[in-house]
Amino acid sequence: MSELPAVDFPAVLGLLPDTAVTKHLSHAVQAGKDFFVPSALRRAVDAEFEDQPRWHVGPVRVLVDEAMDRFEGRRSKADVWLAPRLHATLRMTRAEAADSRLWNYLAMLVAPDYVVWRHRGSKSGIAKTSRFSGRHDLQAFARLWWSAELFRDGSDYRPVEPFWAYQDAVNSIMRLEIIDHRPTAAAMVRIVERLANEGVPNASDHVNGLSKAVNAAGSTLVFDVIAPDSPVDHDARLDWIAESAHAAEVPWDRLPDGPDDGAVDKRAVDVLVPMFEKLLAEAPLRVRSKKDADDDD
Amino acid sequence: MRPFLSYPRIPDTVELEIVSVSVDGRDLPYSQISRTEKTVALHQTGRGDWDLATLHLKAVLPDQEIADGPWSDVVCLAVLSENSTNVRSTARLAKGRDGTWQGKIELVRGRHLRRAVLSLAVVGEVNGVPGRAIGKSEAPWYLDLKESTPRRQREIKIVEADFREASEEWLRGFKDSAWVVATVEDPEIPIVYLNTSGVEGLVEVLNGTSGSAAEKVLRDTTTSQIAQDAWIAMFHTAVSNLDQDDDGTPIMPTGWQEPVLKMMLPDVLPGRQLTDALREINECRTSGAGWAELQTNIQFAAGKRSQIAKKLTGAVRTVDREERSEP
Repeated sequence: MSELPAVDFPAVLGLLPDTAVTKHLSHAVQAGKDFFVPSALRRAVDAEFEDQPRWHVGPVRVLVDEAMDRFEGRRSKADVWLAPRLHATLRMTRAEAADSRLWNYLAMLVAPDYVVWRHRGSKSGIAKTSRFSGRHDLQAFARLWWSAELFRDGSDYRPVEPFWAYQDAVNSIMRLEIIDHRPTAAAMVRIVERLANEGVPNASDHVNGLSKAVNAAGSTLVFDVIAPDSPVDHDARLDWIAESAHAAEVPWDRLPDGPDDGAVDKRAVDVLVPMFEKLLAEAPLRVRSKKDADDDD
Repeated sequence: MRPFLSYPRIPDTVELEIVSVSVDGRDLPYSQISRTEKTVALHQTGRGDWDLATLHLKAVLPDQEIADGPWSDVVCLAVLSENSTNVRSTARLAKGRDGTWQGKIELVRGRHLRRAVLSLAVVGEVNGVPGRAIGKSEAPWYLDLKESTPRRQREIKIVEADFREASEEWLRGFKDSAWVVATVEDPEIPIVYLNTSGVEGLVEVLNGTSGSAAEKVLRDTTTSQIAQDAWIAMFHTAVSNLDQDDDGTPIMPTGWQEPVLKMMLPDVLPGRQLTDALREINECRTSGAGWAELQTNIQFAAGKRSQIAKKLTGAVRTVDREERSEP
């Protein structure tokens, strides 16, 4: 990371509209040559948040710097470390996290160096626009935060780890609507974990096949009825968000605790896993050729 | 388990109705719940934040078919979801004495952003397979968090602003334009910004409902020109963000992009099935081959939607009449 120029970042987070990214994202930024922020970009900010501790940039910046240090030369390993820690640092509701402007702000004003470090293509030499402003499974920070949000088991971030085992399969899982049913997400992660533990060859192709098969099955089967989830305690999340006013910065060598808003029903996951295993066994395996990946090492 | 095999389903659609809505324990005015539009506007002007909306639901299922059909363990499930927040919650309805299915589902404010979708799934065990979807509500209900009028179809949003002093900084760069179209500003809906200081008097003409024949002509032709710009911008935005399957098949996007593509593709690439047209336009755009040629078709399709020819014909005739009637 030492070759990347320094970033002069603001103190508090804010919202930056998508149009501002289209207008101000330059080739120099995407290539990591210069992170100078023109005043027009600062003026394009829709709103800066109130000065609450949870919107302070400092802790996010510390995390990102540590990730770039720790995982120098093996950047894809940074995701699994950063995802739960970013989630526990940026404490917010799903409604807040669904606002793309927050992620734009992080990528353009707080840590463009991280976006480039993590996603600069080996051939193209630049980080794609979608890593600065894009879908929740592509944008450099949104993908980390949402992966922790969608795969954690209440306050337990451990299931997030197997999710990140196969870089080229994460998008195919994350953009499925069926994983919005928590036991479905948990069951898929359990299978990914098994593939990883057994060291199955071409595992990411298996995972892609699994995503497709489960998604197709979900069009005629209602997983919510087959495997009912326990309700989510939204108030517990609000308490967790409020606690950020005096919570210490997240630990680096053990996992932080997430919002204690209710664990996924284990029985539900146990019902789905054998079903999904069967789907996986019946799914056709497509071995894909590698594209110019902008997310592997 | 073989999910792809066909299995029997309820031939008729089921009806889902939102009977009433309470927001933090207080009833939402009935004027904000539209049965014909199947839309609920949850925003109440003058009332600040709220945390929880409870939707009271009633569903009518075809009793005879439920009773006689080859299914058992029938469950009537309300499903509330929103793509942008990745939220999906469900609630079971129970059969009441009057034969309808009733229940409630909660919408937590902090888990939704703009528009939540409520649908109904009838689920049962069929041929030994539990959890089969055997029926569903025809059109889902929409729950708008930022609207105070229940309207299903969201038209293009029109915003008037003095670009020279606009609070949106990026607009100032267009201070000499009469209007601009923004398709990414709000991912839910395209916005046309009308510049109140671009062409003096134009906005007044556009907003007017009466005036001289000349004024009407100007209003009509300008409106359809703005519409043409908007259609072209929407089409380009919609095709440039196509998601792909892992075998490279482009996926039809959701939101406003879907109807735009469905309406325009038959004119842009005539004579093809929708999926083929989508694949072709995507190939064309990403490879660049034939993309320049397609621009003509895109203009044609946009012109058709914005009724340019019709409006101009009317304009020419009006001008002609005016001239002839002059002494």
